[in-house]
Amino acid sequence: MTTQPHSRKRVCYYYDSDIGNYYYGQGHPMKPHRIRMTHNLLLNYGLYRKMEIYRPHKATAEEMTKFHSDDYIRFLRSIRPDNMAEYNKQMQRFNVGEDCPVFDGLYEFCQLSAGGSVAAAVKLNKQASEICINWGGGLHHAKKSEASGFCYVNDIVLGILELLKYHQRVLYIDIDVHHGDGVEEAFYTTDRVMTVSFHKYGEYFPGTGDLRDIGAGKGKYYAVNIPLRDGMDDESYESIFVPIISKVMETFQPSAVVLQCGADSLTGDRLGCFNLTVKGHGKCVEFVKKYNLPFMMVGGGGYTIRNVSRAWTYETSVALGVDIANELPYNDYFEYFGPDFKLHISPSNMANQNTQEYLEKIKTRLFENLRMLPHAPGVQVQAIPEDAINEESDNDDKADKDERLPQKELDKRIVPDNEFSDSEDEGEGGRRDNRSYKNRKRPRLDKTTESKEEEKPKEEVKSEKSEESSKTSSDDTTTDTG
Amino acid sequence: MTANMYRVGDYVYFETSSTFPYQIRRIEELNKTPSGNVEAKVMCFYRRRDLPSQLIQLADKHQCALDETNGSPKSDVSLCSDQLGPKQRHQMKHRELFLSRQVETLPATHIRGKCSVTLFNETEALSSYLNKDDMFFYCLVYDPTQKTLLADKGEIRVGSRYQCDIQQLLRDGESDGRELAETEALVWTPNHNLSDRQIDQVLVVSRSVGTFARALDCSSSVKQPSLHMSAAAASRDITLFHAMDTLHRHEYDLANAMCSLVPSSGPVLCRDEMEEWSASEANLFEEALDKYGKDFNDIRNDFLPWKTLKNIIEYYYMWKTTDRYVQQKRVKAVEAESKLKQVYIPNYNKPNSAALNNNKGVLNGNSNGTGADPAVALGTKACESCNVTSSTQWYAWALPHMQCRVCEQCWAYWKKYGGLKMPTRFGDSVDFDGSAKKRSGSDIEDDKGMGHRPHRCNIGGCAKEFKLKAHLGRHYATAHGIAVRAGSPRPVMKTRTAFYLLTTPLTRLSRRLCRHLMKPKHAARCPSYVINLQAVKQECAVQMANKTHEELQQLLLYCKRNRGSVTAIATRLGTLLPDAATPQWLLLTNKTLLPQPDVVAFPKPPKAPDGSLMYERVPNKPDADKIPVNNMSPSLKRRAYEEMNGIDSSCLNAPPAKRMSKEPMPISRHPVASSALPGTGPLAGNTALSSNADQYQMMMAAAVQAHTPAGLSGPMPRQVAQVNGKPKIAQMTRSGSGRKQVISWMDAPDDLYFKATEHSKKIRRQISSVELRRAARKPWRYFKTRLDEPPVVVLD
Ligand SMILES: [Zn+2]
Ligand SMILES: [Zn+2]
Ligand SMILES: [Zn+2]
Repeated sequence: MTTQPHSRKRVCYYYDSDIGNYYYGQGHPMKPHRIRMTHNLLLNYGLYRKMEIYRPHKATAEEMTKFHSDDYIRFLRSIRPDNMAEYNKQMQRFNVGEDCPVFDGLYEFCQLSAGGSVAAAVKLNKQASEICINWGGGLHHAKKSEASGFCYVNDIVLGILELLKYHQRVLYIDIDVHHGDGVEEAFYTTDRVMTVSFHKYGEYFPGTGDLRDIGAGKGKYYAVNIPLRDGMDDESYESIFVPIISKVMETFQPSAVVLQCGADSLTGDRLGCFNLTVKGHGKCVEFVKKYNLPFMMVGGGGYTIRNVSRAWTYETSVALGVDIANELPYNDYFEYFGPDFKLHISPSNMANQNTQEYLEKIKTRLFENLRMLPHAPGVQVQAIPEDAINEESDNDDKADKDERLPQKELDKRIVPDNEFSDSEDEGEGGRRDNRSYKNRKRPRLDKTTESKEEEKPKEEVKSEKSEESSKTSSDDTTTDTG
Repeated sequence: MTANMYRVGDYVYFETSSTFPYQIRRIEELNKTPSGNVEAKVMCFYRRRDLPSQLIQLADKHQCALDETNGSPKSDVSLCSDQLGPKQRHQMKHRELFLSRQVETLPATHIRGKCSVTLFNETEALSSYLNKDDMFFYCLVYDPTQKTLLADKGEIRVGSRYQCDIQQLLRDGESDGRELAETEALVWTPNHNLSDRQIDQVLVVSRSVGTFARALDCSSSVKQPSLHMSAAAASRDITLFHAMDTLHRHEYDLANAMCSLVPSSGPVLCRDEMEEWSASEANLFEEALDKYGKDFNDIRNDFLPWKTLKNIIEYYYMWKTTDRYVQQKRVKAVEAESKLKQVYIPNYNKPNSAALNNNKGVLNGNSNGTGADPAVALGTKACESCNVTSSTQWYAWALPHMQCRVCEQCWAYWKKYGGLKMPTRFGDSVDFDGSAKKRSGSDIEDDKGMGHRPHRCNIGGCAKEFKLKAHLGRHYATAHGIAVRAGSPRPVMKTRTAFYLLTTPLTRLSRRLCRHLMKPKHAARCPSYVINLQAVKQECAVQMANKTHEELQQLLLYCKRNRGSVTAIATRLGTLLPDAATPQWLLLTNKTLLPQPDVVAFPKPPKAPDGSLMYERVPNKPDADKIPVNNMSPSLKRRAYEEMNGIDSSCLNAPPAKRMSKEPMPISRHPVASSALPGTGPLAGNTALSSNADQYQMMMAAAVQAHTPAGLSGPMPRQVAQVNGKPKIAQMTRSGSGRKQVISWMDAPDDLYFKATEHSKKIRRQISSVELRRAARKPWRYFKTRLDEPPVVVLD
């Protein structure tokens, strides 16, 4: 099923020049600007001129509600920083406010991200391209009616739904350091989409992705989770990625693949805890590409932005089948890449807690699960009669909810590698509470709260550990010791 | 070396008591204290022996459940502890830990070695942990304050509210209703007839056009006073993207594309935010950043309202590439120096207080210590754990009166794993407080096990139950207005929860009744002022006893004091009473009364006959260099005009006439007649300059009178420069004339100092002269020296 490593493909790339200028807010690790940094690197590497470059449309509410609930999308469309107060209850309900803050242009940002992935899927469906790339997409945590983990609209689910129009089976692979829970949940009970996620598991966001989570109902065995521990290096990653994906390809036989290339699995990521280099990360792209299936690549996590743009630039070159120099070309963001100004990065000396033995065990267990798949039918499936839809709801009852344990929102703290520039802000908790933060700055507001204070039945004195201390601890601070 | 190097993220043993087992912690932060010590902020793991007894039972149950799942026929590795021998099962309990979210700070010197803690995965054999030293696992999360054990696991929810409706495969010939034209717009295609070389050429041309456009553009010429700077600015990515777009728009026709770069309106000029911003805007931005941090909305509102948010964000990311930012970072780096990445802790060799004094090294049943030594009493005993009778070192174990001792190996095991290798008569959880923990017979927790326990609302009287924690969270939010943090990918460690102070009627009463003790006004000004709560409690109780219920109710009522509006108060405070004289402290001291310095550091230059100060002219650049820069004009036409008329174009950037008034009166020593009349030509409206010096002087005098309120225009040092015999006023935006030259800092590198330290000198001495010379020729070459190791903090 494989071909030569560097086959030339028709590559379509989706980018909107506005995407870089959305800002999640002070101290927020998610920085859409990394997509623009990638774009500029692509131009200066001369990769830009080798692809078809498209500006995607803005996904409409109608398109987004193919997955998301109407009221959730309506809410996203109407909420703005200046009318947040009116939406208090809904913000709670939709989990918008803290990790998924309300920022200027939030809805447009979602539209562009989703628009890119949908456009990419349409392109693949029309067989007008072999590989479609949307670095603005990959927001894999978004749920049907809930924002989560910096993601609001799940562009991947929307893209896969589009692909399902022409593809009986679509494979989703997720190499973000976090579990791709949004996509997995969306397709948890179907056998037409297999979700395969490689992620850190244990005391880590979002808390799902256990080896034992394998799907439910018709979708049983169609969710594949590879729980990993801290310090995954290139070699270990390849040793588990290659056999699992090979086996999945063999048993599931998808006709299209979506790869989420979350770059927070790279070494030195501000939120991640793996030890992959750009090369190791890119190897996954290379490997999947070899299957010559309609292939969609999306972005995802990645919080040390200089490394994110390195990885995505390299992966674009892999998609194109072009070798690029290790020496970074001059560009607007050149200084971010100091002190070496190289494309490739070296792993750190962190310990790899994934022993060969552990990975081997995981692999064996997953192979056993994959064996349970009915051998992929080679027949093209006929249209399913309308009444078949009801089967889904039946499955709801069968799925054993009680087996599931309470969700924990835990995470692990990774100390950023204190680098030149992009780790910036954040102090710990610098922007935790929007209201108190605003109060601090707007003396006018303080006045009113103060004078009313004693009238209220309860009075609240809200305290945050000093912003100052959080600020100092934050910024990229320490110099590179390298 | 690496074994004793401890990094953030490492799991380590901490010794907080010499007789107790080590504590197992994960290093979250290493901070250097002002006294030079290193403190470790650590996340706590608990051992089974640290748990309350009910929870131990719960943990046992969970493990049984684990065994069951592992006993399933599918599994190739059986974890069922039944397959382990009793000794192994005993030891297994020492390897299980319970994660907590508790964080504490410990001195790094108490670190006693590394270990490894992993989330147990059911594919693993439990025995794999036993076979390796210092390996621990955890399954459950322990909350020491709530006394709960929870599985650390999220859930994928199932139901129509969570899954999507699966898209049907389209039938043959069925349309998907998609038009590519609606989903995308082509911006570039590689399918054209141009070669790579030709595209590169277009890029060079577009940059050249950009450079030329900057030469013509007046504002650019101020920011980029050299050709190099203009060329650099024209090479930024925005110009390149524009060139690519242009090529595409002209269907990859070179001639058309190039022509479109120079339309009749002048050469195309593309500027990004970096270039668009003036130096003063840049300064405003830095000031704002300093004040507000990266809250760009506030920065925009209060500092740069004429910029859009997107302008500011784009600018911010580009600003970070400047050396101004690097400099700021350096300052911050110094501040953050206290945060360490790693710390070196040498092996700990000091004798343990539980070590028994047996200097002969080997015991053969003979007591060999002094009479007072416990070793005497213990001398004949075998190891409590493994029954050996010979060991190089013995340790007293448990209470002295219990008279147990353990051998060296067993002691090490006890310290690391918190139990004895072999099950003993004391059981596992022997404690030095003498009370071995009793297993409570009654099980208070429900029998269903942790995973099945519903989440109960613990708000008084509510007690609603929910299957999912998320639902409980929503219930808290909607029914009780309490925010429960939802799942977050951001580290737990980073969160600092806000807290609320909820006043009860009693606290409010105490505030009213014990005002004299609390001094609220004073406390508000000095937050560190300590309020004696005991005294307040007493006083409050006394006072309340004297009051009736109604009186207390009355006290609790809030009565708003009417102080009038803030504006009224401000106005009142601002207006001086009509009869009151200006207070003494507001009057300026007369200059003659000011103390005079003994030595004048910078004496004023001598005065010219007309009263002006005669400064020595210090040329900082050859004139030839300066003139073209100074005379940069907005268009060639205009420049020709000025050259013909012998007028310097400086006025084009001159501040408006109003500001002129603050400038000194110009002095002309070499009047030059000119035919140009004021108010004509491109200079119309700019009344500040006229070619006729006399006329000019008159006008300036008039301007001063017209715009300067009497008394404001004190004498200021004048700067008069002469270029080609023409009078010329030095201005802020000009270069030359010894005045400060204002250019965009984006182009202007800050001064750089190289300060040699002992360290760098040492490095230099290591370098051979050949290498040194090579390095001088190739400054970018990376130099690997032996001294380049990362800085290390060594503690004793
Ligand atoms: Zn992620
Ligand atoms: Zn022993
Ligand atoms: Zn309740």
